[in-house]
Amino acid sequence: MSLLDRRILLVTGKGGVGKSTVCAALGLAAAAAGQKTLIAEVAGNTRMAEVFGLRSLGYEPTALARNLYGLSITPEAAIEDYVVQTIKVRTLFKLAFQNRVMGPFMDAVPGLHDAVQLGKIFDLERDRSALGRRSWDLIIVDAPATGHGLTMLSAPRSMMELTRGGPIFEGVRQVHDIIDDPRITAILLVALAEDMPVNETIELWGRLGPSQASVALCVCNEMSATPIPDEALWQATTALRGGERALDEAIELTRGARERALRQQHNRQRLQSALPIPTTELPLRPSRQLSLDELLSMGQTLLKAGGAA
Amino acid sequence: MKTQLLICCGSGGVGKTTVSAGIAIKAARDGQRVCVLTIDPARRLADSLGVAGLGNVASPVPVPGATGQLFALMLDARAVFDDLVRRFAPSPLAAERILANRYYRFASSRLGGSHEYMAMEKLLELAQSGQYDTIVLDTPPTRNALDFLRAPERMSGLMDQGVLRWLVMPASHGGWRALELGSEALAGVLKKMMGRETVEEISEFFDAFRDLWDGFRDRSAEVQATLRGPLCRFYLVSSPAAASQAEALFFLDVLRERKLPFGGFIVNRVVPAPQARESEVAVPASAGLPEAVQAALRATLRQRAALAADHARSIAHLRAVGPADAPLWVLPDQERDLHDVERLLTLADYLP
Repeated sequence: MSLLDRRILLVTGKGGVGKSTVCAALGLAAAAAGQKTLIAEVAGNTRMAEVFGLRSLGYEPTALARNLYGLSITPEAAIEDYVVQTIKVRTLFKLAFQNRVMGPFMDAVPGLHDAVQLGKIFDLERDRSALGRRSWDLIIVDAPATGHGLTMLSAPRSMMELTRGGPIFEGVRQVHDIIDDPRITAILLVALAEDMPVNETIELWGRLGPSQASVALCVCNEMSATPIPDEALWQATTALRGGERALDEAIELTRGARERALRQQHNRQRLQSALPIPTTELPLRPSRQLSLDELLSMGQTLLKAGGAA
Repeated sequence: MKTQLLICCGSGGVGKTTVSAGIAIKAARDGQRVCVLTIDPARRLADSLGVAGLGNVASPVPVPGATGQLFALMLDARAVFDDLVRRFAPSPLAAERILANRYYRFASSRLGGSHEYMAMEKLLELAQSGQYDTIVLDTPPTRNALDFLRAPERMSGLMDQGVLRWLVMPASHGGWRALELGSEALAGVLKKMMGRETVEEISEFFDAFRDLWDGFRDRSAEVQATLRGPLCRFYLVSSPAAASQAEALFFLDVLRERKLPFGGFIVNRVVPAPQARESEVAVPASAGLPEAVQAALRATLRQRAALAADHARSIAHLRAVGPADAPLWVLPDQERDLHDVERLLTLADYLP
C-alpha cells in the first residue's frame, strides 16, 4: 500500500529534524500526482507559509501551489470550531469562551487541546462537497516535535479514559480509530542519523503502542555523502599528511566529514534494525530555503520509498 | 547559601540540553555545588550526561578532576504535584481525597503547562533548600518555554475563586450569578460537550482543591519573584540556522516584556572558517593518486568555507539586532555528539 492510498499522513519526530520540509515536499509530490492535498500545521508550527512565500497561514485553507493547500490549526480556533458545531450557536460560544473563567478551564482539561486539533483533521478528512465528493484526497499533518507529538497522538486515548462517555467521547473515539487504522493513516517518523536523535526515535516508536501499526516510513534526513569513499584510496590520501599546510588542513577536514558520514550510516543501520518499518534517507542540503522544484523531487523520492510499505 | 539560577531556553534541536549540561559541568569543575534539572519529556539530559536514567531526586554525577559537585535531576511532574498536594492540604484525609480523584490523576501529568509549572516549583524548592550554589535548568523548546513562563499565571488563573464558584456551586446558591452571564447555559454547554459525569468529576476535584489554592497562589507569586530576582539569568541558546535565531530573538522580546533577566546568547554548532584557500590544496603528482582525490579535498574545503561564512553572517546578524552589550558565546561545531562528562568538559572554555 503506497502513501498516496492513505487519507492522512502524520509527520512527527524530534525538533529541528526537518519535519516541515518533509511535509512541504510530500505535499508538492502528492499534488503533482493529481491528489488534492492539504497540509495542516498544528500546535504552533509556523514554517510552512515561509516555504511557499506567504506571510502566514490561517484556519481556512489557502492555496500554496497547484492542487495544494495549507492551513494552520491552533487549539483556540479548533475549540471554537468544535464547540460551535456542538452547540450550534456562535453567540453562546462568544459568551461562554470569551469569559475569563472559561479559558483556564479549557486549559485544564488534559488532552483537550490536542484532541480538538486532531478532531479538526478528522473533520477535514470527512468533508464532502454537496455532490458527495471528497474535499481532500490527502491531508498531511505537520505534527509537533517528539515529546509533545507523542502526547498529541495519545490525546484521544487520554480523553477517552477521562470522559468514558458522552459526545466528546464519541468524537475522540472516531479520531482514535482513524489514527490507528493503517488503511487511513500513515505516520512518518523523521530523524537525523545522529546518536541521540536515533535513540529518541527508537524510544518514540516503543511508546507509540497501538499506533505503531500506522507507522509507514522512517526518514533519515540530512545524510552527508562520504568524500573519497574508497578505503584504499583514502589510506593513500592520508599518507600525504605532514607536507603542505593547506593540504594537511583539507585532509583533516575530509577526515572529519568522512567520520561524520560513516557514523550517520551506522546510526541509520541502528534505526533500521530497531524498527520493523522501511527506512529511507534524504541528503544534506544547503541551508538556504529549497526551491519548490527541489522540494517536489524530494517528495517524489519519499513517495517512492513509502510505496514499498 | 545564595543560589544562582541559570535557565537555558531555545528552539528544538539546537543542543540546549548539551549546553545546559556543559554549563553545569563547568561550574562543578570550578568548585561549585551544582544541580542540573530538565523538564524535557524526551529524556535528553540522561543521554547527554551518559547516565542511564535520572529520577525525581538529584543524583550525583561524577566529574573527573572537579573541585565541586554535580547533581542531575529529571523531573517527574506527577510526583512533584503529589508532594505539593500533601504539603498544602489541610489534613491527610483531604490530601488523599484529591490524590484519589480520577480527574486529578489525569490532570497532574497531562494538564497543559503542568510540566512547566512543576519545573518551576522544583526549581524554587531546590533554590530554597540552600544546598546548591547554582541550579541550571534545561527547558523544553521555545514555544513550550513560553508556556513555562506563563505557567504560574495559568495555574493561578485556574485556581481563581471565580472558577471555583462557577464550577462547584449549584445555581441556586447564587455563586454563578456573580459572573453576570448565563451561567446555567454555560454549564449546559460543558455538560453537552463532555458528558455530565465528567463535568461533575472535574467540579469535585476543584471543590477538593479549594483549600490548597492559597498555598499554590503564594507559591506562584514566589516563583515569579525568584525568576525576576538578581540571582537568576536566562540564556538564549540557538544554532546558526536562521529559524533558531528568529526563535531566540522572539524569546528575547518575551523576556523584555516580562522583565526577566537576560544573560546572553549562546550560539551552538558554529563551524570555524578553514585557514587554507581551496586553490592552495594541491596533491603532489608524485603521489600517483587519481585527480578525483584533489577534487574531493578541495570540495570539502570549499563546502566548509561556505558553511563557515554562513555561520559568521548569522552571528553578525544576532549581534546587530540583539542588545548592544549582550554577551554572546560561540560553541564550535563538534565532530560528534557529546554525551559523556569528559567530552562535555572540553566545551567549558566556550560557555558562561
